[in-house]
Amino acid sequence: MIEASSQSQARPATATRAAARTNWRTVLLGVHSALMYVFLYAPIVILVLFSFTTDSFGARLTGFTFSWYTKLLQDERLMGAAWNTLTVALVSTIISTIIGTLTALAMERYRFRGRTGMDALLYLPIVIPEIVMALALLAFFAFMFGIIQNITGSQLKMSLTTVIISHIAFSISFVVVVVRASLKGFDRRLEEAARDLGANEWQTFWRITFPLILPGIIGGALLAFTISLDDFIISFFTTGPGTSLLPIEVYAQVKRAVTPKINAISTVMLVISMTLVALSQFVQRQRR
Amino acid sequence: MTTDTAPISEARQQALSKAINRSERGRLFALLFPGLFWLSVFFAFPLFVILLYSFLTPGPTGNVIWKFTLGNYATLFTKDLYVNAYVRSLWIGVMTTVVCLLIGYPLALYIVQRSPRWRNVLLFLVLIPFWTNFLVRTYAWMIILANNGVINSLLQSIGMPRLTLLNTTGAVLVGLIYGELPFMVLPIYASIDRFDFTLLEAASDLGADRRRAFLRIMLPLTMPGVAAGSVLVFIPTVGQFVVSDLLGGAKVDMLGNLLQRLFTRSNPPNWPLGSAMALIFMLVLTIAIIFYFRTTTEEDR
Amino acid sequence: MARLKLSLVLLVVLLAVSACGGGASSEPTAASGGASSAPTAASSGSTNAQATSAPAPTQAAAPADQPTAASAPAAGELQVDTSKLSKELHIYNWADYLNPEVLKSFEQEYGVKVTMEVYDNNEDMIAKIRPGNSGYDVVFPSDYAVEIMARDKLIATLDKSLLPNLAHLRKSNLDLYYDKGNVYSIPYNYGTTGLAYNKSKFSAPVDSWGAVFDPKQVEPYKGEVSMLDDEREVPGAALHYLGKSMNDTDPANLKQAEDLLKAQKPFLAAYDSSNVSRKLAAGEIVIGQIYNNNAMQARTGIDGDYSGNADIVFVVPKEGGTIWQDNACIVADSPNIYTAHVFLNYLMRPEIAAKNTAFNQGITPNADAEKLLDPKIQQLYKEGFAPDDATMKRLEWIVKNEKTVAFTDLWTAVKGE
Repeated sequence: MIEASSQSQARPATATRAAARTNWRTVLLGVHSALMYVFLYAPIVILVLFSFTTDSFGARLTGFTFSWYTKLLQDERLMGAAWNTLTVALVSTIISTIIGTLTALAMERYRFRGRTGMDALLYLPIVIPEIVMALALLAFFAFMFGIIQNITGSQLKMSLTTVIISHIAFSISFVVVVVRASLKGFDRRLEEAARDLGANEWQTFWRITFPLILPGIIGGALLAFTISLDDFIISFFTTGPGTSLLPIEVYAQVKRAVTPKINAISTVMLVISMTLVALSQFVQRQRR
Repeated sequence: MTTDTAPISEARQQALSKAINRSERGRLFALLFPGLFWLSVFFAFPLFVILLYSFLTPGPTGNVIWKFTLGNYATLFTKDLYVNAYVRSLWIGVMTTVVCLLIGYPLALYIVQRSPRWRNVLLFLVLIPFWTNFLVRTYAWMIILANNGVINSLLQSIGMPRLTLLNTTGAVLVGLIYGELPFMVLPIYASIDRFDFTLLEAASDLGADRRRAFLRIMLPLTMPGVAAGSVLVFIPTVGQFVVSDLLGGAKVDMLGNLLQRLFTRSNPPNWPLGSAMALIFMLVLTIAIIFYFRTTTEEDR
Repeated sequence: MARLKLSLVLLVVLLAVSACGGGASSEPTAASGGASSAPTAASSGSTNAQATSAPAPTQAAAPADQPTAASAPAAGELQVDTSKLSKELHIYNWADYLNPEVLKSFEQEYGVKVTMEVYDNNEDMIAKIRPGNSGYDVVFPSDYAVEIMARDKLIATLDKSLLPNLAHLRKSNLDLYYDKGNVYSIPYNYGTTGLAYNKSKFSAPVDSWGAVFDPKQVEPYKGEVSMLDDEREVPGAALHYLGKSMNDTDPANLKQAEDLLKAQKPFLAAYDSSNVSRKLAAGEIVIGQIYNNNAMQARTGIDGDYSGNADIVFVVPKEGGTIWQDNACIVADSPNIYTAHVFLNYLMRPEIAAKNTAFNQGITPNADAEKLLDPKIQQLYKEGFAPDDATMKRLEWIVKNEKTVAFTDLWTAVKGE
């Protein structure tokens, strides 16, 4: 999926030779990586295990039950919130990835007046504390709605749209950072070669540039997706009546204590995302 | 990039600037406009509001009084409380970033060296844990580290004494590193993926040992990823507050806690002071970041 | 190269499919919104049915001089003009505070679709309402927050003629300092702040804040003690222990409280407002400052399918504790003021209030509802989980004014070590 650079064809041979020479380094690297995955998945295993516990405080493994899953299915609020969260994450990821990639290209390929200013503007969303941005956006939307109501007479409300707008706003910068990193290591001789061979700019971009920076783009998209799924503060202040989101439900529920129902829905969302990933790998292999 | 490409791109650059024709400008505008528009509307504006607030007087009921003052900034720079919170948060941020870098780089390297199919799987495996809610993940760590938690139960079952793991600085660090690791791995991965491994071959052919080859060639060339990753890890860490609350027992304030409290949790909220604090925070970090990027990655200038 | 394109296409398709899934799931909402107009017509019938079958005690409790009482078939129940009802009502509430069944039954009875979002903090809620156009109709601010919202004209004055069920509420919960005459708010749920502890770990019953402040007493429980993460409750407890009012802003007393809290810190596991009940029940901590409803959860468990920890005891220390009350209010710019009144009145029906209290494990200000509660809960109330008259006397409201800013500084200092 993320594969197709000119260098990568040379890599396997190189890697094999290097591996033969310093085998222990590879082993060490493998052990380290295995440990890292254990570290990454330890809490996830716990999370899944505790979605089956009979202990409603979700703190002890007292017995096995599916009841949290059946309760989950009956909980329309939580299910609706999960769908909303997924919708926001997907839509904002797609839009911010497109905008972010364009911006990254502009920033890396051109020297123009105000570039430093744009640099600063790009890092602003990353460095701005979430709570500050959330309250500022809330004030902004309320202000704009007021103006729109004065002009058109229609009353707008906070909704999924406002959440998506806000998520795009903070995701763009993350996409730009990652895509720029992959553009920086980019060998522009490849583009020139393509141009010399008669490709026009459009063809050069889609045939050469785009595939080469695709890992960066996908990396940026995944980052945006992850951040959007996780965001609480900005979602909280930019959502409106009838549109709750999963992180808001989770944060609000901790007043009582997280019940295994939350573990259950997390497990369900994990299974869905893993299925999607597995499916994509499978389809890819079939096509090969 | 490499020494032989520099003249070419430089020459191209000059050619470009000489012939800034209309189509070139149009293209730049088309590329830049969407991002510029979105960020101007949703960031330049909030920033302006915050800037304005930071010079106003906090009211008795959490409102803002339209009276100019520099008092907010004076408070921030004179009270030890605030200065200490800054130092503490920056220190935690540095520690987290360094550890993430040390464990994240080898992981990214390992992933890049796998066969294409495995690379995708491994990369997704790094991210999938983060598609569950942040709070739920942190809770899972609480279950693992608690007095009667998973680790202590294991220790006790083999006859070892209980350890106090939760509500310590160590627990906070573990939580932070856990939460930020993918933000380090992804950019580094993207960078190493672009790295031409034959260069290492060339270096060793020329007599450089592995360490020198890595330090002189691979690390500098993958520096854009390292820089991007460090920034993505460092900043959220400095501003975080939930991890230190849940895993550290909320006993010591981080910058994020202070900000959160000033804006919403304190009674009454103090938006002007919070705004001033946020602005200084952003100013310092933005300057640091731009400086960091310029020194580490802009070798093509 | 072809593989690459394929994978991108695939990604987009996957994203699109999931997005459609999201869209599809929201359709039923829209559909049910549209469909709700049908039940509206039908609901006039059910409203009458409800009105005629209103329980006798309700009628007895209602004052006879209701404006609409003369024409009403049942004196205690509000005559609802269904033509004035809106199609939707948006509630903004604390999490797990209102029984979802109540929303459903209201929907069935009046044909009004009710949506509810949640918050966990008064200040967040106010920040959301303040700019206007929030879209919410009913909110549930705590005592002091009512005062702030009323003063800043964020909530509407109530039309008492639409709230006959006010008669069910206890006098002691009405007409309080933050809203004299209940012009803006009706009480929904109240509670206290005190200490909960695991009695199997203590040789004698705990009755003083000394249990968490006196180094000698707290030493054996080092690392198993928690205090709330709250800039008023924690200094308030310290002030109570020192024999002062928790609203005392005298600098000397505050300094004493600050020192006391700093000295206490090494013994604490955590400052924690959200997980105390879970940690108590699980044995992670043995004593902690806690809200009575969280203590109740630690004792009885959640959703009734967990037995909780029978050793958990709640006490308001002899030096004093906190009382608080959450209230239902109507947002000032709500377009559905009439429907919101009908909803508020509905919440005060004894059987409805009892359902909510059973759900949120708090204490209801509704005298008639309390009688309908599970005897087990009533028994726990008697054991100290609800304040008796003697306890009431040593409870204090948290007052917030320009002087109490001092508590923010104190708390920042305590947390700054």
